[in-house]
Formats: sequence, structure tokens, C-alpha cells
Amino acid sequence: MKNKIGVYVCMCGSNISDYVDVEKVKAEAEKIGGVLLSKTTMFACADSTQQEIANDIKDQELDAIVVASCSPKLHLHTFRNVAIRAGLNPYNYVQVNIREQGSWAHSDNPAQATEKAIKLVQAGIERVKHSKELSTVKIPSENSVAVVGAGIAGMRSALELAEMGTEVHLIEREHFVGGRTSQWNVLFTTNETGQEVISRLYNQIISHPKITLYTGTNIISKKGSVGDFNLTLKVNPRYIKPECKLDKKKFQEAIDLCPIEVDDKFNFNITKRKAIYKNYDSEFPEMPAIDYEACNKCGECAKLCDEIDLNQQPEEKLINVGSVLLSTGFNPYEPPKGEFGYEDIDNVITLQQFKRLIELNGGKLIYNNKEIKNIAYIYCVGSRQVDGENKYCSRYCCTSAIHTAILVKEKYPNINNFHFNRGIRTYGKQEVLYNKASEQGDIFLQSFEDAPTQVEKVGNETIVKIKDILTANEELEVSADLVVLVTGMVPRENADLVNILKVPIGRDKFFNEIHPKLRPVETVIDGVLISGACQAPLNITESVKSSLSAASKVNSLVSSGEIELEPTMAVVHNDKCTWCDKCTNACPYDAISVTKVNDKEVALVAKSLCKGCGMCLPVCPENAIDLIGYTDIEMESMIEALID
Amino acid sequence: MAKINPDFAKEIFKYGNNDFNACYNCGNCTAVCSLSDKDNSFPRKMVRLSVLGLDDKITESLDPWLCYYCGECATLCPREANPGELMMSLRRWLTAKYDWTGLSGILYKSLFATLFAFIATAIAVIWFSAKLNFNTEAIMHFGHQFEMISIAAVFTLILLPNIARMWWFTIIKPGVKVKFKTYLQSAKELFIHMFTQKRTLGCDDSKARWFMHLILVFGYLALLFTTVVLDWFGTENMFIIALGYIESISIFIITAIFVTGRIKKNRELNKFSQPSDWFFVIWLFLMGFTAFIVRIFIDLDLIENNLWMYLFHLIVLVQWALIIVPFGKWTHFLYRSFAMYFEKVIQANK
Repeated sequence: MKNKIGVYVCMCGSNISDYVDVEKVKAEAEKIGGVLLSKTTMFACADSTQQEIANDIKDQELDAIVVASCSPKLHLHTFRNVAIRAGLNPYNYVQVNIREQGSWAHSDNPAQATEKAIKLVQAGIERVKHSKELSTVKIPSENSVAVVGAGIAGMRSALELAEMGTEVHLIEREHFVGGRTSQWNVLFTTNETGQEVISRLYNQIISHPKITLYTGTNIISKKGSVGDFNLTLKVNPRYIKPECKLDKKKFQEAIDLCPIEVDDKFNFNITKRKAIYKNYDSEFPEMPAIDYEACNKCGECAKLCDEIDLNQQPEEKLINVGSVLLSTGFNPYEPPKGEFGYEDIDNVITLQQFKRLIELNGGKLIYNNKEIKNIAYIYCVGSRQVDGENKYCSRYCCTSAIHTAILVKEKYPNINNFHFNRGIRTYGKQEVLYNKASEQGDIFLQSFEDAPTQVEKVGNETIVKIKDILTANEELEVSADLVVLVTGMVPRENADLVNILKVPIGRDKFFNEIHPKLRPVETVIDGVLISGACQAPLNITESVKSSLSAASKVNSLVSSGEIELEPTMAVVHNDKCTWCDKCTNACPYDAISVTKVNDKEVALVAKSLCKGCGMCLPVCPENAIDLIGYTDIEMESMIEALID
Repeated sequence: MAKINPDFAKEIFKYGNNDFNACYNCGNCTAVCSLSDKDNSFPRKMVRLSVLGLDDKITESLDPWLCYYCGECATLCPREANPGELMMSLRRWLTAKYDWTGLSGILYKSLFATLFAFIATAIAVIWFSAKLNFNTEAIMHFGHQFEMISIAAVFTLILLPNIARMWWFTIIKPGVKVKFKTYLQSAKELFIHMFTQKRTLGCDDSKARWFMHLILVFGYLALLFTTVVLDWFGTENMFIIALGYIESISIFIITAIFVTGRIKKNRELNKFSQPSDWFFVIWLFLMGFTAFIVRIFIDLDLIENNLWMYLFHLIVLVQWALIIVPFGKWTHFLYRSFAMYFEKVIQANK
């Protein structure tokens, strides 16, 4: 029992003291046995106050402290650090929230807000009395990582991690690397093509001794936890022998022979490809691939070339890594049939299809055998939905549409671009593109979400109509030869992966970080990190930034060979445990398993998996589980203080 | 339902401003405009209509004439889209639109056509003088006759029908129903603005500009009266002679200041001079200056032996009367004052 407790009641400027009588709270705290000193302070988090608390701890030999201020989410670590600096165990510190749960919540009733604050502080004091000195738990870790997805984010972080000395397993589901970036031609602001950027990264990756690249590969199971993940990979057959050196002429003959034709996903289905394919000439890995899902194994190509082996079977590989970094990227939003005429009207396509179309077209811009003059871009398709689920802005689409409009105008000077938008968001330096598009004569029309742009077929013409708020709500129309739906981002379908790794999904269906500002690349699953557009709509620059941030986070986690964990976790009292198995079902993290101690079956909590959530405690019929940092006696004394 | 016509912008480029597409509709220009009000909100609206190519709406608008090119909009435009110069270009475009002969448009858009017209008129004057055997008296007599005939002809055949077209475009076609009485009651507005240009004073720091312009207008109208009605070149009356000197001097001094301003580009409205602006101000200068020299030559008895001086004056006069007055920038004198008049009529009708 602690009996030299220091209590500090914070005014938070006036955020707390305007509604809570802090002097009264202080006075009430003083009365409790074991409290040595009780003080009010203008800002507990101020440097000078922190110093004062530290001095009190040393001078008065305090054995525990309570700070009644804001949410522990904000300053728990601040005051733990004060304790550490003063030589006190940080777990002998309790933070009481009298702001979010006191003054702010009850600003209409200061008297009761004060009463509640007193109770909360009393409970905090009772809890700290029973607090124990704890230290972080250390577990060993492999200095290796599985980077999932070899798009630009995955490739860039793989390279960075390898440079920092971490062993990297780069896992790509497709037979080729590059992801979405390789599908874009000229990029803003560097004017390189996406394919050039990817080629450069690939050449660095393939020559790096610390990176192993797996293409055509899925993760099919996971065992273990942070520091020691065991992943089973399934490597799908490429049907091309690994030693194959691409002979362009033979490859072309094989393509000509192949009887299978499927929609070309690389071109967003505006073209067809054969089962044996390569998406573009300089694609990596250099050898072609045979689409194992589409191929009917007729064997025509194998007759032509010894390097084709249709008898290849899927292989399983086991890898052991300390951490998993997900960079699985995004899918363009696929409009349902009929949205802005998509799939109903023959000249309505998505921005991504249009970008491929421009790259594939020659001297004239032709779609459906018709030369294109007027192009209508409809913005925010699949983003900022009023009725739909995608409430978010996809960030990249305004810039991408405008950049594409500039490129298309450069290639085909006679076309006219019409941008039907809901407010242009070319943030940052991308604004220069907006300026350039305006100057080149692109016309911007704007409407609010309550009066969306309309696309309809009138005779042979496709008419795009808008109530333009920039022209006093005038109804304006354009006869468009091509309607380009500026579609936003949705996450890739990763149901299997989500299931295997238990990655949390946000309301927007993207992977969810722990804290968007303070811990932006970590997930609540220790050791599983996220980066790039699998987390939120991001452009290439932003994806790479996030991937590098995740890379350094992964490296700092696994490179020391040891991982530190919070001691707040469940412990089983083996004498009481009767192994009824109720706790395993209650645990959301699969942290509990059975073990034998002295021939008795008891529950075992895996330290590396337990998050200290406490779900197992109430279900235990024998009361055999305790949560360190929130032991029964601590909780009971708090409850007693509150109901007293 | 209006159809967007992006090609219209290319047409406007031929009349001057080619930056207006840069507009991102912030509306700063309208906010800072000293002359824009709730009934006539400009220039953003005109920029928008030009970008979209809604030329019918521009044709029916009087707004371009209500702008006096203070230039603040252009100075403060964050996109350097130059709304003031667009309003100027639209005035040129409207002048061409009002002109039933279509010659205005040709002259505005083609420097070649303008030069051709100027050279052709000069040759015609010289050829005609040759037919009169370069007889000074006969030529001067013809010059005087020409002034009267050309004024009457240009006014009845070109200017009057064009004003009628302006009235048609801005009042009748948009369906504004106006009582005849309203036209009479508002007529005062026409003459006030024609002879005072007082709206110019709505621009900040515009007193000097307004005053010089006022002197120029009066000097020009008075010199016209003095030469045509009082026969300045033929009179012996000392008062009339002196009056003509004062008028011609004031014209060429003020136009010289204006030309210098355009060369120096000292204010926003002088930055983007089109050929039509140069011709207008230089020819006005030449009119005043050559008239002044011709009268000096007459007073010094030099004109008999220096007929070239009068011929030069006559060429300038003929070019002015047949090109610049009916088809060039001179018409702003009428359109601006009629615009104020029509605007008054429309507002009175509401």
C-alpha cells in the first residue's frame, strides 16, 4: 500500500476550473489517508509544473502520484516520464480525467461536475494505493519483415528496410511488380513515367542481397505474433521456367498461338489480352507469365518453346518474420451500372480507363471508332457520396483528372476539356496544374451535391448537363464525345489477408491505424503495420512517404532483436484455473492457449499477443485471471470509493 | 439550356485579352470594382460568360460599356486573368457586333486590313487631288465640302443604324417592355454622359484622367464646329482664328500625353494597346496638329507653295472620317453614353 501519495489537480487554464471547483477537489483529496500532499496547478503539463512534481517526488519521497487533468490519451506518457525522471516507477502513477469526463461534459452543472471530480480523484487515489512497480515485457524478435504488395509503396519500403539491415520478403500477388504506378504514364511533377520509376526500383531491389521477391504469391496462413510471425506463402505457377530469357520473337509467336482471350485488367478491361502475357515491354520480372486461372493448358505454346512448363504446381513456402508491413494499395472505384450512364451509354468510361486509352492511342484520339473532340470529366464519382458509403474525399482524383486533361490536350491540341466538378481540390503544389488547365482553355463547371451533373443520351449525342453555380445556377450543357468518370479510391479486395492477419478495418473500409496523427502506420495488431493507399486514399508521393515512415517504424521494432511490450496484460493463477476454455473464446486476439503445469491443464496467455483488454476476466468462473495494472483489488477499491 | 462554346474564347483573343481563361471565379474583380453594383455586377460575370462562350448573353448586356477601365480588377486578380482588358476586348467585340456592315470586325481583327484601308484612302485623296491638278483652292474647297458630307453620311448610314442595333440587342430582343414616356424621361441621362463622362470619376484617382478626357472631347467637338460651321481655314475673323488655335492645341497636347502614357504603359488601361487604340489616339493627335500647322501656313501665306501640308491634313481627315469614326474606336463616344441611357431606361422600367 502506498502511503506517501502526491495529488495534483489541474485547472487546464480555465478549461477545468471554470466549472470544477479545483480548490475543493484538492481539499477533499488531502483528507484521504495516505495522501501526503495535494496541490492545484494552472497547467499540470507545463514544463515548470512537471519539474515541480519531479522535485516533490524526490524531496518528499512520494511513492505514488495522481494527476487529475485531461484524458490519459493526451498526457499519460508525459507524467509517466515525469515519474521516471524523478526515480519513481511509472506504473505508480494514475491519471484521472476531470476534463473530458468532468468540466467539459458537465459545463451546465458546475456543482455536480465538482462532486464527480472529487469522486473520480478519490477513486484514482484508491487505485494508486494498490499500484505495483511494473516494468515493460521484453520478447525476442527476428530482424526480418514481410512486405505485402510490390507496388510503389511496398517496393520503396522494402528497399529502405533492406538498406537499414532488415531481411525483407517482398510478396506480390500478381506475376509482375509495380502495382498501380506501372499503369500510369507520365507522372506529375517529375514527368517520368510510372513504368520508368518502377523499373528503377526493381533493378535496385533485385540486386539487393537482403530482399527476396515473391511474385504470383499469396499469404495463406499466419502463426505466431510480433517478433515471430510464421507465414505460409502460396506461390502460384507462372508456367515459365525460372531460367527463361525472354526471346521477344518467340514470345510474340506464343501470344499469337494462344487461343484464350480475357479482359486485360492492366488496361482496366478496355482491351483484351491472351493467357500468356506481359503488360508492357519493360515490365519486371522480365519473363512473361501465363495466367494460371485463364489458361486451358492446350499446350500450343509449350510446343513452341521449351521454357514453358505447364506442369508447374503451386508451391508452399514458410517464412519467419518479426513484422508484417501491408502495402496492398487501392482499387479504382467501380461505378455500378447506370451511375452517370456507366455501362449504359457507350462513351462513358472511368478516368483510369481513359489514362490507359490515351497511352494506347496514336495520332488521333479514338474511342468506339469515333474521334473524340469534347471530353466531359465528372468529378467525385465514388467519393464524397451523399447517399453512398464512401463519404471520404479520395484526394488524388482532382489532380489526376486535371493532369490527364493537360496531357491529353498536349497530345491532341484540338480537343476541348470540360470539368464538371464539386469544387477543385488540387492542394499544395498541384495547384499549378489547375492554373495550367485553366490557361489552356479547359472549362470548369461546378455544382453542389444536391444538384449533381447529369448524363443522358439524346439521339446520337451524349449530353452532360449541370446547374452551374459559377454562372448564377444557369443550366448549361455540353455534347460530349467522351464522358470520363473521375473515380476515387477504394481498398483492394483483401478478404483473405484481413482474415488471416486480423487487420482492423475502418468505417471507410481502408485499413485502420492506431492514431491518425500520433501512430499513423501502426495497427492494433502488434507487429502488423500499414502504408500507402491501403490505409487511405493517397497519391504516389504520399504513399511513398507513408511507406518510408512505416519502414523506419518496422526497423526500430525488429532490428534490436528484442521487442518491448506494455506490462498491462492478463496473468493466470494456475492454482485456481480449471481450464474450462471460456477465456479462449472471449479473447479477441487469440492470445490464450492451454498448457500443462505439474500435470494440470491450465490457460496460458501469450505475452506477445495479449493487449490487456480484460475481456477474459469477467468470463472466468474461478476468478483465476488478473489483469496486471488493473488487478481486482485496484478495481474494487476504485468502485468502493465511487459508491461511497 | 445554354450550350457551352469554347471556341468563342479564341474569337475574343482576336480582340485583345487572351488571359481570361485563367479565371478561377474567386470574384475578387467584382468585389474591388468601384463601378459594379447589385444591378450590374461585373466583371466576373462577363469573364464567366466569355469562358463559356455564351455570346448571346454578352450581346444583350450593357455591362462592358459601364466599365471605365479603372484597372483595379486587373491589378488585384490573383490569376492575372486581366478582367479589365477583357471588358475592353468585349467593347471592341460589341462594337463589331453592333456594326451592320461587318467592317468594324474586320478592321479590329486584322491589322493588314486596317493598313490596307489607311493606304487606300491616302492614295484616293492623292489621286483625287491630281484630278484637281493640285489646285490649292479647289482642294481646300473640296476638303470643306467633304467634312460636311461625310459627317452627314456616316451618321445616317452607319452610326444611326448601329445605335438602333444596340437598342435592339439590349432592350428589344431580351424582351424588356419599355413605355415611350420612359425613353423621354431618361433622355437627360444620354446627354449628361455624352458631354461629361462623369462615370469615369467613379474610378479611384481618376480626376486628372477625367479632366483631360473632358477637355479633349470639348476641344474635338469645338474644333469640328469651328472648321465645319465657322470655316476656320477660310475665315478672316480673329476671334474664330484664335479659337481654332486654342482647340487644336488642346487636342494635340492632350493626345500627346495620352500617346506617351500608352508608350510608357503608366496605368492599367494603357498596358495592352491594340492597333485600334494606337490609330485612334495618334490620328486624333495628327488631326489637331496638322490643322494647327495648316492654319499657321495660311496665316504666314505659305500654304499656296506648300500644298503638301494641306494634303497631309486632308488624308488624316479622310481616314479619320471614313475609318476611325464609323468603324473604329470613335464609336465608344456614342455607345458609352447610349449604354448609360438604355441602362437608365431599363432600371426605370423595373
